[in-house]
Amino acid sequence: MSEEAQPIRAPEDATTAQTQPQSQSQSQPEQTQPQSQPKAQNSNKSKPQSKDASSKTQDTSASGEKKLTNKELKELKKKEKLEKRAAKKESQGIPNQTEQSKAKQQKNQQQQGNQSNGNVGVKKEPKIVNKVPLFSHLETKEERNALSSSQAQVLHYVHPAILTLTSKYASYSIVGSIPRCIAMLKAFQTVISEYQTPEGTTLTRNLTSYLGYQIDYLKTARLLSVTMGNAIRWLKQEISLISIDTSDNDAKEDLIEKIDTFLKEKIELSDKLIIEQASNHIVNGSKILTFGNSNVLKELFLHNSKVLKKQFQVIIVDSRPLFEGKKLAKELTSNGLKVQYALINSITSIFQDVDTVFLGAHAMLSNGFLYSRVGAALIAMTAKKRNIPVLVCCESIKFSDRVQLDSVTLNELGDNEDLVDCYKLNHTKKSSVAMKNFINSYNETEEKQSQQQQQKSKKNQSNDKEKETTNEKDEFPLQNYQKSPHLNILNIMYDATPPDYIQKVITEVGALPPSSVPVILREYKAS
Amino acid sequence: MLNRKLKRRQISGSYFVALETCQLLMRVISAARWNNTNQLIEQIRQLGKTLINAQPREFTCGNIIRRVLAIIRDEVYETTENENMTPMISSMFSLLSTNVEKKEPIAPPVPTNPRIHHNKNHDLRSIIIQGIRDLIDEISNIDDGIEAMSVDLIHDNEILLTPTPDSKTVLKFLLKARQKRKFTVLVTECFPNRTSIAHSFAKELSDAKIDTVVIPDSHVFAVMSRVGKVIVGARSVFANGGTVSSAGVAAVAECAKEHKTPVFSVAGLYKLSPTYPFDVENLIEVGNSGKVINFSESNLVQHADITNPLFDYIPPEHIDIYITNMYVFIHPFPVVFWAKFY
Repeated sequence: MSEEAQPIRAPEDATTAQTQPQSQSQSQPEQTQPQSQPKAQNSNKSKPQSKDASSKTQDTSASGEKKLTNKELKELKKKEKLEKRAAKKESQGIPNQTEQSKAKQQKNQQQQGNQSNGNVGVKKEPKIVNKVPLFSHLETKEERNALSSSQAQVLHYVHPAILTLTSKYASYSIVGSIPRCIAMLKAFQTVISEYQTPEGTTLTRNLTSYLGYQIDYLKTARLLSVTMGNAIRWLKQEISLISIDTSDNDAKEDLIEKIDTFLKEKIELSDKLIIEQASNHIVNGSKILTFGNSNVLKELFLHNSKVLKKQFQVIIVDSRPLFEGKKLAKELTSNGLKVQYALINSITSIFQDVDTVFLGAHAMLSNGFLYSRVGAALIAMTAKKRNIPVLVCCESIKFSDRVQLDSVTLNELGDNEDLVDCYKLNHTKKSSVAMKNFINSYNETEEKQSQQQQQKSKKNQSNDKEKETTNEKDEFPLQNYQKSPHLNILNIMYDATPPDYIQKVITEVGALPPSSVPVILREYKAS
Repeated sequence: MLNRKLKRRQISGSYFVALETCQLLMRVISAARWNNTNQLIEQIRQLGKTLINAQPREFTCGNIIRRVLAIIRDEVYETTENENMTPMISSMFSLLSTNVEKKEPIAPPVPTNPRIHHNKNHDLRSIIIQGIRDLIDEISNIDDGIEAMSVDLIHDNEILLTPTPDSKTVLKFLLKARQKRKFTVLVTECFPNRTSIAHSFAKELSDAKIDTVVIPDSHVFAVMSRVGKVIVGARSVFANGGTVSSAGVAAVAECAKEHKTPVFSVAGLYKLSPTYPFDVENLIEVGNSGKVINFSESNLVQHADITNPLFDYIPPEHIDIYITNMYVFIHPFPVVFWAKFY
């Protein structure tokens, strides 16, 4: 907290504020920052005036100053959050760009009341409303973004390659821990190649912290996957190992080359080994069930059908809201494989005469749990109950030293809005949170204008509009779920499959039972 | 008419089917002509057969017909017993013997005193129709009996999960329980066939100030460790305790069993069928695959098999208790409890 507080107080403050809009216009329409920044400055100015006594202490002692800045920062964040929530609330009031109804006006009045009060009690209320009690410890997408805007002063350090990557993560156009890891390392390569060591420091010292900013920004889209975490740890270690004597250019080339070999060794070659091993489990005429979309498994199926010329059937089970299995199904059907496609609630009826279940992994935890896309545990359980072997294909880069006993304690929250539409059969890419906020604020101003017009115009018109809005509400029952204090949507990304459901884990270092994951981890670390 | 409606799936949901069947039977019985009760029973059995063939997976239809037949037999048994003091038809199984005996007590009065016989028929008709009326009453008030148990089964701050948001009984059960208890309900989406119903179900619960959380079907395992009880609304329950319900419920029940979470199935008495599910695969109806994949994705539609089952069969060992409007019972011998209704 105090680290962040200092730059705001520091004289460069003005320059960062200036540079910010520029970097945003280059990269991403981050609407919230320009909004919140002036606000922050305002509060910075206004606070000392209101609290004369405290401002005196601030002048006198350095430690006092620190405390105060912390307080201020907290207050600042609170205000920002409040603003966001307010904006959100307002946006949910209107389904689309339609004009406002009377209820809306009341809402606005309430809101204005809230803003003028601006106290803690008001702030806490919506927090409870928006979250499922069991999962309230998990960070929502909006919160992650709110955090990012509070760290706004970091933004101008972020490389454009990272910005595009972040938006790709956020819209789920790059999903799966391995593709995300590859994309991240590729982006880091460009970051490193365009990196200039500032004067007064060395590459080994500065590059890690510079990458740290990039990683922080990546985190705003989605949490880091285990593979990404492992890769980052490796990369940081590599950077620290570079001797100070090497020139910057040499060091950069060296690093880029090392990333390439890392990608090749840890992902490409290990996939080949895994496929070789796993191919033994696919025989002619076998029926294989898989869930979601895993890169290794896709390669495995294609290899077996094209190179090894085996005839087998793949059942792909899919689930809402991401429909990743559809991607796999498309890929396999276009390559001439026999595919059956079903959704997860039909598993009990499609499980008849399945020979093997192959699952991909997000991570293997060190207590032997498989951490994978939500739904995998259900599949593994039903398979186990029917004595069907469950095999997990996963690279050793996915091994994590984390321990988790259930899916509740640690997880990633998806976007609740994805579940509002009850008929959608495709996951559509959506605008980022910042973009949404921008649209919302735009809508707000539109509404205010239209409100003024409405007040002038006849009542009949407003009645018509009310009807319109109610019609739209009928379309999806959950459309305004955030308004109701008792209604919630839960959308988590992963679940943990107990080791007893898994027959074996196929990795590039061999096939092993899930219980020996920590053994591999230990050796992996030692080497 | 009903036959056609059933074939076209214009009526679905066991509740409506049950009511419609009752009404049809009332009309048939009030219009039917018969000389002796056996003819009537035969007529109704024929009707039952055509209805069941129209929609073999709508078991309530058959159940209602069986119950009406039971009412008729009961009546006949009582009246003849009063007249002759000889035991008569008591069930389908003794049909052979009754045919032999029947000729003696009923045939002689016909030529001697037709008026009396006519009166008797008329009496029987009104009694049967009264019986059906009672049945309709029972069906439409079925949830009251079930609701009463809700307080005994739910404790404060409990987390419940229901995989059958299309069940009216479950909705009423929860609403009733809310009057005494505060709890959270997790509702699965039942994608793709019943998602909108699930969402409006959740909305309705939340309007009644029940904390409701909508979860996709894949989240069941992840949250099951925190769930206190699973409530399943049954579509029909068989003599062995096996249950047919919406697709996805079987997986939920299995998962609950794995986590030792109690599962209870709520069902009106009219859903309890005296038949046995010998061919489980045949019980499951398959729905429109266009709901799973858009037809616009032609490549997938052409090359992949797409399945969309509508129902699931839940084996009896996955359900801990059955709650009906009259009894709460457990699975080994459920048929013992309701055999007397048929």
